[in-house]
Amino acid sequence: MTKRSQIVFVVDDDERLCDALGELLASHGIEAMTFRSAGEYMTADKPDIPACLILDVELPDINGLDLQRRVTQGAHPPIVFITGHGDIPSTVRAMKGGALDFLAKPFSEDALMASVRTGIAQDRAERSARVEIASLRRRYLTLSPREREVLPLVVSGLLNKQAAAELGISEVTLQLHRRNVMQKMEAASLADLVRFAERLGVSSISPQRKGRADHERG
Amino acid sequence: MRTLMTQPQSGGYPRTLIFPSRTVIVAALSERRQFGLALTCAAGGVACWLTATPLGLLAPIAVLYLHFEGRAVALLRAVLILACLLAFLAACLHAPSYREPPLFWAGFFVVALCIGEAVLAQAKLPADTMQATRIVKSMPAFTWSASRDGQTTYVSASVLSYIGQRADRPGLFHILGNSGWRGAIHPEDYPQVMEKRRRALATGEPFDVEYRVRRYDGVYRWFWTYGSLSREEDGQVAGWYGTMIDIEDKKQADARLRRSERQLQQLIDTVPALIWSTTADGTPSYVNKRFADVTGAVLADITAPDGSPSLSVIHPDDRPIAAKAVAHSFATGVPYVTRYRQLRRDGSYRWTETRAEALRDEAGRILQWYGVSVDIDDLVTAQQALRKSEQELQQLIDALPVHLWSWTPEGDLAYVSKRYLQYLGLSEAHFPDFTRVVAELIHPEDGPEVRRTAERCLKSGAAFTMRYRRRSIDGGYRWIEGRSEPLRDRDGTIVRWYHVSIDIDDAVRVQAELRLAQENLARQSQAASLSELSASIAHEVNQPLAAVVANSHACQRWLAADPPNLDRARKTVERIIRDANGAADVVSRIRALFKRSANTASRTMLGDVIGEVCGLMQDEVARRRARFEAQIEADAPPVAVDRIQIQQVFSNLIRNGLDAMDGAVGEKVIGLRVRRLDGSVQVEISDTGPGVEHPDRVFEPFYSTKESGMGMGLAICRSVVVSHGGRLWVEDNQPHGATFVFTLPSEAAETR
Repeated sequence: MTKRSQIVFVVDDDERLCDALGELLASHGIEAMTFRSAGEYMTADKPDIPACLILDVELPDINGLDLQRRVTQGAHPPIVFITGHGDIPSTVRAMKGGALDFLAKPFSEDALMASVRTGIAQDRAERSARVEIASLRRRYLTLSPREREVLPLVVSGLLNKQAAAELGISEVTLQLHRRNVMQKMEAASLADLVRFAERLGVSSISPQRKGRADHERG
Repeated sequence: MRTLMTQPQSGGYPRTLIFPSRTVIVAALSERRQFGLALTCAAGGVACWLTATPLGLLAPIAVLYLHFEGRAVALLRAVLILACLLAFLAACLHAPSYREPPLFWAGFFVVALCIGEAVLAQAKLPADTMQATRIVKSMPAFTWSASRDGQTTYVSASVLSYIGQRADRPGLFHILGNSGWRGAIHPEDYPQVMEKRRRALATGEPFDVEYRVRRYDGVYRWFWTYGSLSREEDGQVAGWYGTMIDIEDKKQADARLRRSERQLQQLIDTVPALIWSTTADGTPSYVNKRFADVTGAVLADITAPDGSPSLSVIHPDDRPIAAKAVAHSFATGVPYVTRYRQLRRDGSYRWTETRAEALRDEAGRILQWYGVSVDIDDLVTAQQALRKSEQELQQLIDALPVHLWSWTPEGDLAYVSKRYLQYLGLSEAHFPDFTRVVAELIHPEDGPEVRRTAERCLKSGAAFTMRYRRRSIDGGYRWIEGRSEPLRDRDGTIVRWYHVSIDIDDAVRVQAELRLAQENLARQSQAASLSELSASIAHEVNQPLAAVVANSHACQRWLAADPPNLDRARKTVERIIRDANGAADVVSRIRALFKRSANTASRTMLGDVIGEVCGLMQDEVARRRARFEAQIEADAPPVAVDRIQIQQVFSNLIRNGLDAMDGAVGEKVIGLRVRRLDGSVQVEISDTGPGVEHPDRVFEPFYSTKESGMGMGLAICRSVVVSHGGRLWVEDNQPHGATFVFTLPSEAAETR
């Protein structure tokens, strides 16, 4: 058995539809896991690979929309809703909740498969993004406290002299810190460093901060 | 009034008629006169002797005649003159033969003249006496006389005959009393009479007394006695002379008068009215006792200083009007009637009606005004209360937002409320137009019906109630509810019709809007049901369809693969067939549910239907570990129903019961019971499940407590039962579970 690169979860109380969807996905070369209820889906042991969820709105235990609300609080594959009788309020609710699509039964193969592929791709991208940011965060954690102070000053475009004055250290010392930051963050250029800082949410210093630094220096 | 009440003067009878003067009439011939007459007779005898002729005899004849007839004086004189002439003639014829003839005849002549004058002088007295005697006799009174010392000298015979005494005992009577008087005077009056007589005797003043004197038969009668001392011309006391006059009738008349006056006074004081009089110019002259008692005002209080009526007993507010009426009447003599509030002793005022009329003399001059005041306070108060209540009623009628009118059975308008007239813009002068105006106001579409109904009601006397449109002042029509009812007297005859019109336009409009809203709601809920139904059907059908579509695509892909995966393709095709059949099942099931195969009612015994259903469902019941308990009355009548539909109802309800008992513990029993009711058959299908939580909602479409339920089963059951003329409801089963009960009209009741 080859290593699975992607998977589709199907949650619908109708066994016939589960089977049919599994068959359809299989015919497209996509593996599917089917669940008959939300509870079954929640408790199941699912592989951690790029995935997509096809979710029926009407479920025996809890409503599909409620399930959506619960799972999307954490990292979760995109959801494609299917419903027997789609009404506007639940559609709106599903889309607001971040659903990828909302398909009324019987749905066309193209629409379903397009949504499924988009979902898987999206999940894959999110997964890689999650991996990158995790690596950045790991690198950021290696910075010393002084280096963490230097980073925002540098990425906000201050000259070395200015940044040194801001921190009340010599320009030479600042240059040293800056070089360390670049190395630890594995940034090839200042532009890389700026991008990393943005991803990490390390904001550049504010003008107030700058003003206050001037004042302290004076 | 005052004159009316003038007290009679005691003993006031007209004594002047009885005594024109105080002259004393000598009732009998005096002894001196008797002597004169005798002398005249003697002179006649001497003359006869002297003349030797019978001429002298004329004197005694004349005297005797005179004695009996006073008018004989002239005759006597003539006789005397004749005698003188005859004597002179005889002397002339015989003169020489008689001695000293001239002297003799002169002497004779003188003697005859003297005698004649004497006789005449004597005759004069008896003439007066006779007259006095006649007067005395003719007087309707008893007379008496007494000597100066009181000894009775004369008592007329009538007195004696009255008291029954003989005349030969004059000594019996003395002014100061003796046995004669004592027996005659009433013992009660005796002392008083004696006292008066004694005083009169002592002082010489006339005495005047009234007392009762006993008649011979013992009856006492009142007499008035007046006596006075009579004197001779020379001042000598002649004696007491007096009369007794019978005043019994007058006394009685007086007493009667007094009695009647007393009764009149009592009447005046007793009648429950205030009586008063004034003089002709209005000065108050009398008020009765009640007047003083009731008002506390005496004559002086109601008289102003200038003599006019002060009106002090009249309420100050009423005084001007009363004063005007009084002044007008006094000025014109017109009787007056006024009403005013009159003072009472306690200071309160009461309504009084006063009427006064003038008493006029023969010439028409006003002598007195007589007035009477009657307390009419209760009447006035009652009238005021009545008026007030009438006013209140009127205000009520005018204030009520309704229109009232009434008319007589003859069809004449009797009353129209002010509000109605204002509404119509009419005044009371338009009464004759009223009916026409009202009739014209009614909406042309309603008019004929209103008229017809009104005429029918008027004819039959039935109450009239109708709603119709009536034009209002602004020209628009408004809905009116008109109601008329007749008022009947005790005999049931209609005496008056009353009509009230109420503007119900707003209510009618609201009602119409409400009805519209209800219709809309019904339509909308119908639409909603329809949309829900269609959604439900869509879901039921789409589910297998979605599977079919997905499988078809999968199959297509398996077949298109290189090489084609025929195994998978076959498998998907099998699924396609299965799911497509499922969809077809759903559709046919729904069609069956909604099928209304009307007019297929046939005479059916419910027991048979139940038997069939039980047979069909026996396997399912057994599989679900339940059992039937059927209890069917043998005499349950047949019903006219669509057998298939009723079978569906049974199977639906039984399946419903089985579903309810799925999770239940204990014995699972489906009870079936058929009972005969009056005109219908009642069927009960009970289970031993948990019971029904919302008995009022279970029959609503799409209400379901089951995961897979469409919520249509019970709704359809109810619609089937209702379409058969029955009812379906749910009750609690004991000790637990639910009982679905429905009735169906028995065939007999149906055809009846």
